[in-house]
Amino acid sequence: MQGFNRFYSLVSSMKTGLFLLFLIGVTAAVGSSVLPGSFYQIPVFKLLLLLLLINMILCTFNRIKLTFRVLLKRFGRRVWYRQLGIFTLHLGIILVLVGGLIYSVSGQNDRIHLLAGDRVDIAKVLDIRHPFTLQLDEFRIEFNEDGSPSQYISEVTVLENGQVTDQIAISVNHPLNYQGVKAYQTSFGYLVKAAYIAENGENKEGRFFEGEWLDPDGTNRRVRIYKYIPNFNPAYGMRSVTLRPDNPHIVFSVYENDKLLGIGAAKLNEPAQIDENVYVTFTGVEPYTILEVKSDPGLPLVLIGGCALMLGVCLAMLATPRRKKNMV
Amino acid sequence: METLMDIFIYVVLFCYFASALLYWGGGKFHNSMAAKAALGLAILGCILHLAILVMRTALTGVLPLTNGLEFLLSFSWVTVLLYLLMQTRYPIQPAAGAVMLISALLVSLVVILMRDQLSAVAPLMPALKSPWLTVHVITAAVAYAAFALAAGLAAVQFFPAGQSIKDDYIYLLVGGGFALLSLSIVLGAVWAEQAWGRYWSWDPKETWALITWIIYAIYLHVYRSRDWPANTTRWMVIIGFGLVLFTFFGVNYLLPGLHSYA
Repeated sequence: MQGFNRFYSLVSSMKTGLFLLFLIGVTAAVGSSVLPGSFYQIPVFKLLLLLLLINMILCTFNRIKLTFRVLLKRFGRRVWYRQLGIFTLHLGIILVLVGGLIYSVSGQNDRIHLLAGDRVDIAKVLDIRHPFTLQLDEFRIEFNEDGSPSQYISEVTVLENGQVTDQIAISVNHPLNYQGVKAYQTSFGYLVKAAYIAENGENKEGRFFEGEWLDPDGTNRRVRIYKYIPNFNPAYGMRSVTLRPDNPHIVFSVYENDKLLGIGAAKLNEPAQIDENVYVTFTGVEPYTILEVKSDPGLPLVLIGGCALMLGVCLAMLATPRRKKNMV
Repeated sequence: METLMDIFIYVVLFCYFASALLYWGGGKFHNSMAAKAALGLAILGCILHLAILVMRTALTGVLPLTNGLEFLLSFSWVTVLLYLLMQTRYPIQPAAGAVMLISALLVSLVVILMRDQLSAVAPLMPALKSPWLTVHVITAAVAYAAFALAAGLAAVQFFPAGQSIKDDYIYLLVGGGFALLSLSIVLGAVWAEQAWGRYWSWDPKETWALITWIIYAIYLHVYRSRDWPANTTRWMVIIGFGLVLFTFFGVNYLLPGLHSYA
C-alpha cells in the first residue's frame, strides 16, 4: 500500500507534470528540426502526451480539494477568482487532450476529387451513421485584379436518398458541416482535354490527368501531357505567372522509343505537331476540386476545452494578487 | 505617403536607439535630465511608429497584421507602448534602456530585412480571409510585447550597478503574456479548424509557439513555488523571449510550413 501511495504521488505530482512538459518541449524542438512533418507520430512522443494527460487528470483531481477549500472560505474575491481560473484552465487542457485522443482513436478523414457533376457517397469514404451523397455542381476560382486567387469555391448539393437536402458553397474558411461530417476546400487540379486521331483511326477527344500519356495514330511517337499553365510566359519556365487563365498553355513532351525528342508549350486550340501529318490539339481544361472530408467525434470536447482554457487563463491572470503575501 | 513611411521608420529607429543610449548614460551618471530626454524620445518614436502603422492601414485597407513585416512593426510598437504605460504605474524605469534597445533592434530588422515591403500592397490570400485573423494576431503581438518587456526587466537584474526591479513585475508580465499567448494559440486553432480542416497540425509555427508556451508555463509554476533560485527563473524569461524570436524569425526562414506567409 505504501508502495502504491508513493507511485501515485509520483505520477500525480506537479513536478512530474512539469518534467513531462519539459520533455515534450525538447522532443518537439528536436523533432521539428530533424523530422519535420512526422515527429509527432513517433510512439514515444504520443506516450509523453498520454502521460501528461494522466498526470494532469490526477494532479487536477488532487487539487479539487484545495480549490474547494479556497472557494468556500473567505480569502477575498481575488483569491477566489484566481483559484477558479487556475482550475478551469487545467480542466480545459485536459478536455483538449481527451478530445485529441478521441480523434486519434475514432476520427476519420480522407480526400475526394470531384469534377463538376460528379457524385460521391460519403458513407463509402467515411464510416458514418447518417449516409448522404455529395454532388459537385461547379468548382471555380475567383481572382483579384492582379491575377492572384481571391477564393476557391466548390458549389455542392447534399442529397439523401436522391432528395436534395442542402446546397452550399464550400470555400476556404467556409467548410460544409453536415450531420457531423465536415468538408473543406483543400486543393484543386485540372484535367486536360485533347483532340487527336486515335490508333484505330477515329477522331477522338480525351481527358487526361497531368502526367498521363497519349498515343496518336500514324506515328510511334508518344505524347506526355505534362502540365497546364494558366498564364504562360517562357521567362517563367514551368511556373505560371498567375493562376488566372490569361494565356493558357499546355506543356507537353514527345518521346520516341523512350527517348525524349523535345518539349513544347501549345496554346489552347492551336494544333501541335507531333510528327509529319500528326497533330494533337489541346481543346481546354476541366477543373476538379479536392475536398477533405472529416468526422471528428472529439471536436466538441476540444472546443469546450479551448474555451475553458481561454476563460480560465484570463480569470487567473486578471486576479493575480498585486501584493506577494496574497499569492496562493 | 510611401516616402513619408520611409523617412518615419528611420526617425523611429533613431529615437529608439538614442532613447536607449540616454537611458543607459543617464542611469550610469544619475542624470535626471538625460532620463527625461530619453522618455521624450521614446514617446516621440512611439507616436511616429503609430503613424507608420496608420499609414500602412490606409495603404492596404486592413489592420497591419497580415504579414511578417506588419507583425514585426505592430509587435515592436506594442512593446514600447506597453513600457510607456507600465512605467507610469510601476517602478520599472531601470529596465528602460534594455527595453528601448530591444525595440530599436526589432525596428532595425524591419529596416534591414524588409524595407522594400513597407510600401508593397498585395491582396490577402484566401486562407487569411477570416475574422479570426485580427484576434489571433493581435493577441500574439501583445503577448510577444509582454515577453519582450519581461526579458528586458529580467536582463537588467544581472547588472547590479543600477537599481533592481522586483521579480514580481516580471512575473506579472509573463503571466499576462502567457494568458494572451494561450488565447492566440486557441483562437488560431479554432481558425485552423475552419481554414485547414484541423485544429492542430504540428506545423513548425504551432510547434514552436507551443514550446514557447511550455517554457513560460514552467516558469509560472516554479516562480510561485519559490523552489528555484531567482537567477534561474530570470534566465528562463530571457530564454523564453529567445524562443519567441525563433518562433517568429527562425521558423519563417528555416522551417517552412503552413504559416509561410507570416
